[in-house]
Amino acid sequence: MSALTRRDVLKLGGAAAAAGFTFPAVLRAQTKEIPMLGLWSFTGAFSDVGPVLDRGMKMALEERGMKIQGKAIKYITRDDETKAGSATRRAEEAVDADGVKYIIGPWSSGVALAVSEVAKRKKVFHYFSGGTEDISGARCHRYSFQWAASPYTAAKTVVDTFVQANPKAKRWHLLVADYAFGWSVEKYVKEVGKTHGIEFVGADRHPLGEREFSNYVTKAAANKPDVVAMINFGLDAVTGAREIFNFGLTPKVPLILTWSSGVEELVQLNPEIRENMWVGSNFYYTADTPVAREFVKSYQAKFGGPPGYAPAAAYGMTRMMLHAMDRAKSTEVPEVIKACEGLEVDDLVGRMRVDPKTHQTLRPYFFMRCKKKDAMKGPMDFADIVATGSTPLPAEYAACKDIGSL
Amino acid sequence: MSGGKAWLAILAAVVLLPAFVRHAIATEIWIFAIFGLGLNLLMGYTGLLSFGQATFFGSAAYVAGYLLKYYGIDIFLALAVGIVVGAVSAALIGYLCVQRAGLYFIMLTFALNQMFYFTAYQWTTVTGGEDGMPAIPRPSVLGFDIHPPLAYYTAVALLFLASLWVMKRIVESPLGKILQAIRENELRAEALGYDVPRMKLAAFVVGGAFSGLAGVLYAMLFGIVPLESIGFVFSGNVVFATLIGGSGSLYGPVIGSFVFIWLSESVASVWARWPLLLGVAFVIVVLFFRGGVVEAWARFRSWRAGHRAPAAVHADGPR
Amino acid sequence: MKIPLLVSQVLNGLATGMLYALMGIGLSIITGVLNIPNFAHGALFALGAYILFTMMQLVGNFWLALLLAPLGVGLLGVLIEYGGIRPLYKAGHDYQLLLTFGLSLIVTEGIIIVWSPVGMSQLPPPLLRGGVDLGITFYPKYRLFVMVTAALLVLAAWLFLEKTRYGAIMRAGIEDKEMVSLLGIDIHRLFTAAFALGCGLAGIAGALTAPIRGLNPWMGVDMLGIAFVVVALAGLGNLLGSIVAGLLVGVAQSLVALYWPEASVAVIFAVMAAILLVRPQGLFGIR
Repeated sequence: MSALTRRDVLKLGGAAAAAGFTFPAVLRAQTKEIPMLGLWSFTGAFSDVGPVLDRGMKMALEERGMKIQGKAIKYITRDDETKAGSATRRAEEAVDADGVKYIIGPWSSGVALAVSEVAKRKKVFHYFSGGTEDISGARCHRYSFQWAASPYTAAKTVVDTFVQANPKAKRWHLLVADYAFGWSVEKYVKEVGKTHGIEFVGADRHPLGEREFSNYVTKAAANKPDVVAMINFGLDAVTGAREIFNFGLTPKVPLILTWSSGVEELVQLNPEIRENMWVGSNFYYTADTPVAREFVKSYQAKFGGPPGYAPAAAYGMTRMMLHAMDRAKSTEVPEVIKACEGLEVDDLVGRMRVDPKTHQTLRPYFFMRCKKKDAMKGPMDFADIVATGSTPLPAEYAACKDIGSL
Repeated sequence: MSGGKAWLAILAAVVLLPAFVRHAIATEIWIFAIFGLGLNLLMGYTGLLSFGQATFFGSAAYVAGYLLKYYGIDIFLALAVGIVVGAVSAALIGYLCVQRAGLYFIMLTFALNQMFYFTAYQWTTVTGGEDGMPAIPRPSVLGFDIHPPLAYYTAVALLFLASLWVMKRIVESPLGKILQAIRENELRAEALGYDVPRMKLAAFVVGGAFSGLAGVLYAMLFGIVPLESIGFVFSGNVVFATLIGGSGSLYGPVIGSFVFIWLSESVASVWARWPLLLGVAFVIVVLFFRGGVVEAWARFRSWRAGHRAPAAVHADGPR
Repeated sequence: MKIPLLVSQVLNGLATGMLYALMGIGLSIITGVLNIPNFAHGALFALGAYILFTMMQLVGNFWLALLLAPLGVGLLGVLIEYGGIRPLYKAGHDYQLLLTFGLSLIVTEGIIIVWSPVGMSQLPPPLLRGGVDLGITFYPKYRLFVMVTAALLVLAAWLFLEKTRYGAIMRAGIEDKEMVSLLGIDIHRLFTAAFALGCGLAGIAGALTAPIRGLNPWMGVDMLGIAFVVVALAGLGNLLGSIVAGLLVGVAQSLVALYWPEASVAVIFAVMAAILLVRPQGLFGIR
């Protein structure tokens, strides 16, 4: 060995083992406490939504005074780093070391599938909101629930409403994110569109995380469409919308964002880019329900601006979970799951019902039209809600054939 | 030369660690240490800065993970697959890379790593792309169920100890000496009649085998092969960990793994911007503590003993 | 294949290719003179974009912002070289490389701390908004501007390297550092200048990109890989080569995206690896 003697290594090793480890000791969850995990992104691609998701869940828990069924709620968050690997690790650790039995999140749908596996393996309750059919479809199981509307509901709301407002726009060009969710929505948009006599002059798929949209935009322009509809999310949608504007396609040609976060995406654009944009979303802050109005008021008072889809979803999911605990009169996972199946309440977005066969929450989907710059009453006054729709996924498309047992 | 006391310290660490640290993290530390041992054969002993070790780690994880998930292979086969895939991918990459030196070598390891990464990223039907490959099972070992975190920890720790022993034998073997000679002066080694590219390739293959083993164990740890495991950031992490521990010592990667995993786990849950600390620590290590913790400790001891810092280079030790 | 579509795609490729060329030139100078692949090049690209954004918020003058961005990043480059890379000359290239790797983390995280991780938009100045009808196809003015500006910058870099004395010293430094210092030239100053110049080029590439792709803290990550590809194709320190290589990569990407978008990125790296193996001095390099 080199100049470092064996004694040195021994001392070093001993010091490290004895002194260095300031990890919190393994916690023993008290029987009087219910630990709940908010699995959010504080680093990585979705790191901008982590803090607001945290707010939403906290608000829903604080409304109940951080107690449920006579027990104190212990709310913990873990950073999933918008990565399936990190999410899996942190979720598992939270279950093993912190005694977590209830998980809300994550935000990314790809990551959600990994977390759903953890929920199934560890037998913990899991609520998720996002763009993947699989949670309530091909990969359904008793432990995971889906809060966002079915892509079918979204597609139907968007297409039906837009066609009604623009009956002459018959030629549609689609720009689709190339993954399972994008393909599902594309399929449904085409189906519903055909019933209205729409001609799909082009449909391009772009890889997730694409930064160079110029190629797709020129292809779209070459088809001379009446409408361009994008089926993508987050930064992809924002980048795409920006490029479509740069190339002069909008505002002449209307642009539809079929599955959008609403506020979170719109705030990244400018009023000029947003002109003649039509946006479908799982939540918009001008939603007119008693729960939404209260929530928006509170949120605005606390944080200064209106809530987007992210905090609303966190808030909404947590509320649904708490409703289920109320109904079950218990905090034991199997009973809460059974109570959640078939749960029907008037909550954040209106009438909401959890389908027991698929764990899909049946609820309204929003469709908005963005405002021109001079019509905006304030910097966050992006759009008006034009319609809502809640047509559920027809049974013949349901990919969840057997949700299994506990 | 046998470092008996060092072994005692490491055994103590292996036994005591689960008492202080969450089992999954403790397991991750040893897995990363195996990964670091593989890299250090190239970096510390042969003087080849390979910036693409994740290629071998990730490839092994994906292939073994795939077989575990869809073909339900048993654990020994999975480990063997991991080692073989790691070694074979390293043979391929190594063969291509050792033909070039210095700058080009580094750029080549980086480029090939990126190629593997983007292939994994796009080949979603097989790898799951960005979503990774979840639902990887953890088969039992000779009838013992290793699902409980502590049980898996034990299995991994034993494999780590075995790996450490093997690596020790390798670096003390003639191959190890030749590699160090190559690091010191490649031309001289060639002049002495050694087939330098062949030896470098051997280093790659052995390092790749270790990386592959670490990869399979990682896949079974959390039941998922994430895309990052084949990415450039992961390659950078193991370089960082090995450097921090001290590439000049057999045990450096082990210490580095401790420090790195500790930093990334405990600090990350407190401050989202922890990569900044990582970057700063990296810069400080590179500027002032190139020998890593091992060298810093040695310097500290010498300062305490009132002697000048010992010479950093020894004829029959790594630098 | 419709002609207007093809023309637009090629124009897109040229626009992005010009940016790749700028990145390639900057990286090529650093790698050629200092012999280290600058792993912070992508992060510095992002920083240039963010500086432009802030200048626009503060001052509102796009042209001023476009000037300040590369100056800011270049200045940072001076600091990095002086404070970080120079002390490591004796330690060797590997450590200098590792330093740049650590710096890339610091710069990216620094951007997040100062500006937030949320993506942002930057509109081009009013003069450059909208598009022109080129007859064959409609094309955004700003992209044409980027093409022209990048070309001018490349020309300026060429004039500097080929026609000025300092440029000649830099080229000599790429060829043979020992000879240069034997000639009595302060090699350290040369290194600092080369590094700062490379960083400045990354900075302006980022600033020019901001109105096209918007800003987010990781916008430099892909650029880093592509910059390496351009340098490998062009050969170290080869200016003309970087231009051609950058344009090649840009146009190739655009055209591949038409037919096989999934493979477009992996293919680039496969090509890079192939070139490094077969002709490590690049398609155009001599060394």
